[in-house]
Amino acid sequence: MKVHEIMTRDLTSVEADVTIRELIFILDNARMPNIPVVNDANQLLGIISEKDLIRAALPGYFDMLHSASFIPDLNQMAKRLSAIIDDPAEKHMQRSVLHVLADDDVLQAADLIIRKDISNIPVVDGEGQLVGRVKRIDLLKPYI
Amino acid sequence: MIITVTLSPAIDKVYWVDHLKIGEVAQDSFLTRATRSLTSAGGKGINVSILLSRLQVDNIAMGFVAGHTGHVVVRDLRDEGITTNFVWTHGETRTNVTILENGREHIPIKVNETSTPVTPLELDRFFRRFRRIVPNAEWVVLGGVLPPGAPPDVYRQLTSIANQHGARVVVTAGGRALAESLLACPYLVKPDLRESVSLEGSPVVTVSEIIAAGKKIVSCGVEMIVMTHEVTGDIVITKDAVWEIQARVKTTQIKNIVGADDALLGGIIYQLDRGADVEHALRFGMATGILSAESEEKICRNINRIENEMNLISLERLEG
Repeated sequence: MKVHEIMTRDLTSVEADVTIRELIFILDNARMPNIPVVNDANQLLGIISEKDLIRAALPGYFDMLHSASFIPDLNQMAKRLSAIIDDPAEKHMQRSVLHVLADDDVLQAADLIIRKDISNIPVVDGEGQLVGRVKRIDLLKPYI
Repeated sequence: MIITVTLSPAIDKVYWVDHLKIGEVAQDSFLTRATRSLTSAGGKGINVSILLSRLQVDNIAMGFVAGHTGHVVVRDLRDEGITTNFVWTHGETRTNVTILENGREHIPIKVNETSTPVTPLELDRFFRRFRRIVPNAEWVVLGGVLPPGAPPDVYRQLTSIANQHGARVVVTAGGRALAESLLACPYLVKPDLRESVSLEGSPVVTVSEIIAAGKKIVSCGVEMIVMTHEVTGDIVITKDAVWEIQARVKTTQIKNIVGADDALLGGIIYQLDRGADVEHALRFGMATGILSAESEEKICRNINRIENEMNLISLERLEG
């Protein structure tokens, strides 16, 4: 079975210059944990997730802490978020993006989703244009 | 690839009732119970998308969606195998209600909500998405009313962009949105005469008035215009010819006319895209529209019956 047979056919994506403020609105309203970032030719440039935004809003020393409970004041997070709220998505996106081709075998997508513990993976065509995404649940739907 | 644009999509909610109680005074007479109901994603472009998808044609549906009903629209389209590419906005995607009295389904009662306004930023995001994917399109279908906040020339702008990339543009709309789009010369136009009973101030009722109005539009550079004449008949005008197309079906056979016009348009586009001649495309389109009107579901699902339905279609060349 090929990826294009099971993928979610959705092209929801953002441009590299979309602000973090807009991004939070889109992620929330489209109910997506992450969103592909594309160029003017609809080719995949990167991906940006809720996790990326939360991490960007955390204090710089967060990685040295054992737990988020060590953050003395959540206001710090709010302040940092307000500092990045008008940043472009490209500043915080992941540029190295796992993806599969529409004609790849589903096993390829399943392997990446399971081994890398990701909720979904973008699907591109032979020209690198975004054509959809495979969600974890898409792997199961053909069998029900 | 075909792109459909529905800037004001909707949830279409259809209720069938035995008798609609309007103006009843007694408290126990207020309630009208629906004998059955249907819910589906709607809007002119979306209806064309659904028909094309059922004919196994890959297509992308674009527009604005919002809130819970926006998710219902998107989910419905994905279940149909349609690629979705919507801009998420504030508010809630509208719900359009149709009430059909059993036995009188050809005279529906419709209540359409107004869409949530769109902001300049949301419009900008839509245009950027449209520009990104239109180079891959052979056809672009622009359908329906505009949401508050959208400029009246938005279809003209989209038509110009699509024309630059060599796509054939179809506009199915009414009022100023349609009039503005004509300035950019779309390929095919289907005026929505529910929105304005006249074109450029001229009444459009009789066959001769329809032909005169259609010829005026064709003279602007439009290749083909499809104008509704009766419930089961249309007038089609091109540079070279005028046709009257009729379905020989009784109005009592009609079960749900919501979306039937859009199914007709989708059928025409389907055949023209495959290189069929105009007359075959028109007969196929009318058969698709009638088959949809004869089924309770908004857009016909029993696609294999279209060829049979074509036997009920008469096509008369009035000119050319």
